[in-house]
Amino acid sequence: MQPEANFRTQTQRVDPNAVRVWRWQAALACAIPTIPLLAIGFRIPTSLWLVIVFAYFVLAVWCVWKWPPAYYNALEYGVDTRGITIQRGILWRSRIALPRIRVQHTDVSQGPLQRRYGIATLKLYTAGSHYTKIELSGLTHDRALALRDALLAAGGDSGV
Amino acid sequence: MRCSPRVATVASDADFAPTLRLHPLSWLFVLVSSIRQFIVPVIAVLVFGARDDGSMWGIVIVVPLVVAALWRQFLFRYGFGPRGLVIRDGLLFRNVRQIEYERIENIDTERGILHRLLNVAEVRVESSTGGKPEALIRVLALPAVEELRNRIFERGRAPTQAAPTADEGDILLRVSTTELMRFGFVDNRGMLVIAAAFGVFSQTGSMGDIGEWFGARLFKNDAGETGMAMLAVGAGLLVAVFLIVRLLSLVWALVTLHDFTLTRFAEGLRVRYGLLTRVGLTVRLPRVQAVHQTETVMHRFFGRVSLSADFAGDGMAQSDGDGTPQLRMRWLAPICTPRQSAQLIRIALPMLANDSTVEWELLAPGAKGRLFRKAVLLSSFLLAVPSIYLLGFAAPLVWVAVVPLAWLHATQYVRHTRWALTREALLFRRGWLTRRLSVIPRSRIQTVQEAESPFDRRKEMAVLIVDTAGAGSIASFVRIPYLRGQVARELAMELYRSAKDITIPRTQAAGAL
Repeated sequence: MQPEANFRTQTQRVDPNAVRVWRWQAALACAIPTIPLLAIGFRIPTSLWLVIVFAYFVLAVWCVWKWPPAYYNALEYGVDTRGITIQRGILWRSRIALPRIRVQHTDVSQGPLQRRYGIATLKLYTAGSHYTKIELSGLTHDRALALRDALLAAGGDSGV
Repeated sequence: MRCSPRVATVASDADFAPTLRLHPLSWLFVLVSSIRQFIVPVIAVLVFGARDDGSMWGIVIVVPLVVAALWRQFLFRYGFGPRGLVIRDGLLFRNVRQIEYERIENIDTERGILHRLLNVAEVRVESSTGGKPEALIRVLALPAVEELRNRIFERGRAPTQAAPTADEGDILLRVSTTELMRFGFVDNRGMLVIAAAFGVFSQTGSMGDIGEWFGARLFKNDAGETGMAMLAVGAGLLVAVFLIVRLLSLVWALVTLHDFTLTRFAEGLRVRYGLLTRVGLTVRLPRVQAVHQTETVMHRFFGRVSLSADFAGDGMAQSDGDGTPQLRMRWLAPICTPRQSAQLIRIALPMLANDSTVEWELLAPGAKGRLFRKAVLLSSFLLAVPSIYLLGFAAPLVWVAVVPLAWLHATQYVRHTRWALTREALLFRRGWLTRRLSVIPRSRIQTVQEAESPFDRRKEMAVLIVDTAGAGSIASFVRIPYLRGQVARELAMELYRSAKDITIPRTQAAGAL
């Protein structure tokens, strides 16, 4: 039995356009703290303020430029007859396996940014307690719909 | 497969009109429960506001509630349709709800003192969907509850014969008063009362008064005696708190779990307990998701264990009809001998009957070292400030205590933590002071996750997290740490693969029921 080898052969990456979406999202998220950051400039010594701004700028560049491709490279999913396996994370890595008979219902959602790049998020809901919603973002919309149909096709059991 | 009957249900039950009504005094219980929600603000107003027009406000609040409760009772109907329980409800917006008999997993009843005086019960009907109960029927007369229970578990057919013995079933466990006293001694529930009392005192400002009183008594003495007096009072207080906690836990156990009886009937288990509020719980066996056995130091002193179960639908966000969280422990046995526990586990999880033998596996070899380092670092971090403050340059002396204790913890934890995978289930034992055993049937596993932190990766280890339905409490969260990376991956894949293999016969069995 070689689950490892078996698993590896089936994995796929999400759509490369996802990186652009994540970059935009990261940029928007990083833009929010700039307002308080500029505001505190009047209250603290200028030298200290410059250091903070520079540190924040470096962090923001890393988040916007480096993190999305790294996350993209770490994100893999595999679909087989039994269900779906999703592997993700750069420092804290996890691989979650969800048998399709456990899928209670599914959502395919798209935000405005995602729609611009034709990307969608597939959300799978289980009857579990701690991991009731399992998300896979970065799929193309068509792929997300196809995956949803594939995972639901064999459903029908109450899943508990 | 099982979707199609649901569609058919709607069609065939469409012309079915429910005719049965609630107990004539139902409005009273609805009112009581509504008032209970207002009681905290009302008390707050009475105590702090001290308003003179209290009675006026009472009338303004209560009258509409009574009218609403009566109107609701007047409209409420339920009935046994061909395929499911039909409930018509609604104040302004009518709602007709149909719950397929096959999907109903659990019927809970609850009877407070008022319920028992009037011979009625509050009934909750739950399906496997989770979250809220599918139906909260407040309230029914006892014979009506019994009929409801029988009709639901006999799929809506009128009972062929009145079978009084079917009600009783086989008694699997009856917890005697002596055993309950032991349980009270083991359990720390009395701590909650202390915490609540503490909260009330500190809120109302009485805490300061008590402090002043003690201060006045103590510091009246000469300076030399103060230290000793403080010590004596401190020790006395600790002993007193300990005794009060024990006593309260004892009373709590005797009252809430009075006459705890676990019986078995054709398809499931029935649990009944409570002196003032009598709780009745009927559960189908397929709804039992996992079983957890707990053994604290006190348990071992008495040679006992506690056994609880996770039921499908008892999620984290579970609430009853009023939206109040329901944090009830699902006991199979609040206290029993390890031998009884083993028998009960087999009854609650029948798939274990012809299981393969259990072969325990240990954690990864490096686990002990990591646990030791983690314990030392964590306690050093937590103790750093207090020890430097109290001991000054002698602060490193703390390590004299910390290092051996951390070593003891690491050694004992690794010795008592192990897991096993049988043909039907995953078993996980953990802890050394409080020892827990979780038994999770493979067919009940929802998701399997294998995760590694940077620290795990450095030592080629991984964590396995198994999620099941109804595992809301911390005690039932199954997370196997410090596994060898390869072992964790193989275990995760194996559990993922077997999910389907086992579920097919189970589905057929459920259909045949």
